[in-house]
Amino acid sequence: MTRILARLGLALALPAALFAAWWLGTAGSDNFYVPPLRDILIRFPEVWTWDRLRADVLPSLIRLAAGYTVAVLAGVLLGVLVGSGRRVRAVLEPVLEFFRAIPPPVLVPVIMLFAGIGDTMKVVVIAAGCVWPILLNTVEGVRAVDGVLADTCRSYGIAGPSRLWHLVLRSASPQIAAGMRQALSIGIILMVISEMFAASNGLGFTIVQFQRSFAIPDMWSGILLLGLLGLALSVLFRLVESRALAWYHGQRRAQRGPAR
Amino acid sequence: MRRSFALLAVTATLLGATACGSSDAPSTPADEGTPTKVTVGVIPIVDVAPIYLGKEKGFFSSRGIDLTMESGQGGAAIVPGVLSGQFQFGFSNMTSLMVAQTQNVPIKVVVNGVASTGKQGADFGGVTVKGDSPIQSAKDLAGKKVAVNTLKNIGDTTVRESVRKAGGDPSTISFVEIGFPQMPAALAAGQVDAAWVVEPSLSVIKAQGGRVVAWNYADAAPNLTVATYFTSNKLLQEDPDLVKRFAEAMNESLAYASAHEDEVRQVLGTYTQIDQKTRDAMTLPEWPTEINRASIETLATLGKNDGVFGDKTPDLGQLLP
Repeated sequence: MTRILARLGLALALPAALFAAWWLGTAGSDNFYVPPLRDILIRFPEVWTWDRLRADVLPSLIRLAAGYTVAVLAGVLLGVLVGSGRRVRAVLEPVLEFFRAIPPPVLVPVIMLFAGIGDTMKVVVIAAGCVWPILLNTVEGVRAVDGVLADTCRSYGIAGPSRLWHLVLRSASPQIAAGMRQALSIGIILMVISEMFAASNGLGFTIVQFQRSFAIPDMWSGILLLGLLGLALSVLFRLVESRALAWYHGQRRAQRGPAR
Repeated sequence: MRRSFALLAVTATLLGATACGSSDAPSTPADEGTPTKVTVGVIPIVDVAPIYLGKEKGFFSSRGIDLTMESGQGGAAIVPGVLSGQFQFGFSNMTSLMVAQTQNVPIKVVVNGVASTGKQGADFGGVTVKGDSPIQSAKDLAGKKVAVNTLKNIGDTTVRESVRKAGGDPSTISFVEIGFPQMPAALAAGQVDAAWVVEPSLSVIKAQGGRVVAWNYADAAPNLTVATYFTSNKLLQEDPDLVKRFAEAMNESLAYASAHEDEVRQVLGTYTQIDQKTRDAMTLPEWPTEINRASIETLATLGKNDGVFGDKTPDLGQLLP
């Protein structure tokens, strides 16, 4: 019990200190763009009512989920393909590196030309940015399949879909998860950026509107909400990951020696 | 542990932004002889041609002003620059400035910027549709998807007024935000039913066969003052002489631009990417030296009815010179 409390205290100490510093540092601020934290916190519940969460935050989250799902599916599929064949890798890798280097925000006007200006465009932008870490990590994970396990599979005649499912994806899954984790934060950034073009709702859109209409405390409250959202999503991700990859974490602990 | 890292990153970013926002450049008083360095935040569009022309003609240097223009994305991006002292003056449309005023942003209009020609059929901004569109008049825009460059601003309030005056129901229009340069493509691809554009995009759309169905600036008010140059109350108090000299130079530039259309079309080539053909063909706005107060009052009423200012009303006495 005390250990849990101590850990909780450790986790909350720095945020609390930073918030205190922010509070005190801006308490007497008369800079129009840096309102006191007190004003921002007062505005927070007034701005982010249930209606607004449903009208602006929910569409953002749905688009993020859609884009992220597309990226995971495409990244893993393509990653397995590229990772398992040397020739495929030799052909595709330069092209993939080329596309990877293009930041999705500069592609938005181009994507708008074929994906329109609706939700499709925003989902494509999110997916286009999220897919790379997943893809590249999957490639590496698939390449690094344990040789002994691969030989064992072959001698037992395990092939085709069941080899893919039980051997390739299983052993690549820790790396795929690492890629998905990176992609999540990229996805949140792109969720906001995609809403700066041709949007009419969304969290990023709302924050930009506040900034443009000089409602500065409201804008800061949106930025706070964005940070909290990122935090919540990363906690959620860790929860899911630690369940799905329980075997892997257990194996790591066993290899490292007795748990402390 | 990682949780606190995430929050740390967020908070650090916030604090970083805080630190950036509070840099105040000291304004130097004008000595006799040494010109005062003045930076003006402008949007590099047709509307600001007079200031470039005026600089070329020496209207600013003759008044001891060493003028530099810096590009901003729009009024909302230029206002912070003016408040922080990075820009001494800025260019913004009147609706944005009135929104800022209702939020008690300490700024004041100094001199006129640009005005509509007020002529149906020959203005520098209008609502365009594809050549084969069923939309024939402003009334038909009701229930349609219309592109504007920024929502809750001068574009959508004046377009609503056009539809209202034509007998349509403006509340059924759905506006989407698209940058002016992307609008010709969005309109051609049918992603929007209509697009409100200003020059040079207006000429581009006309050249690809588009039609203008509403002249929203001309509909809103006769000779509407669209945008003005403004400064911070701080500079106005600390160096009223500089503000006065800038206003004089600007007025001379506006008058010169109104009288020398050819030179305006020429100077556009120096700071925009508009090609020669479009430059020669497009309709220029008007650059009167007088701010048309009545038209701004109309604009304020339109904005208020559309909820652009929330529940507030802009105080034009505070904002206008």
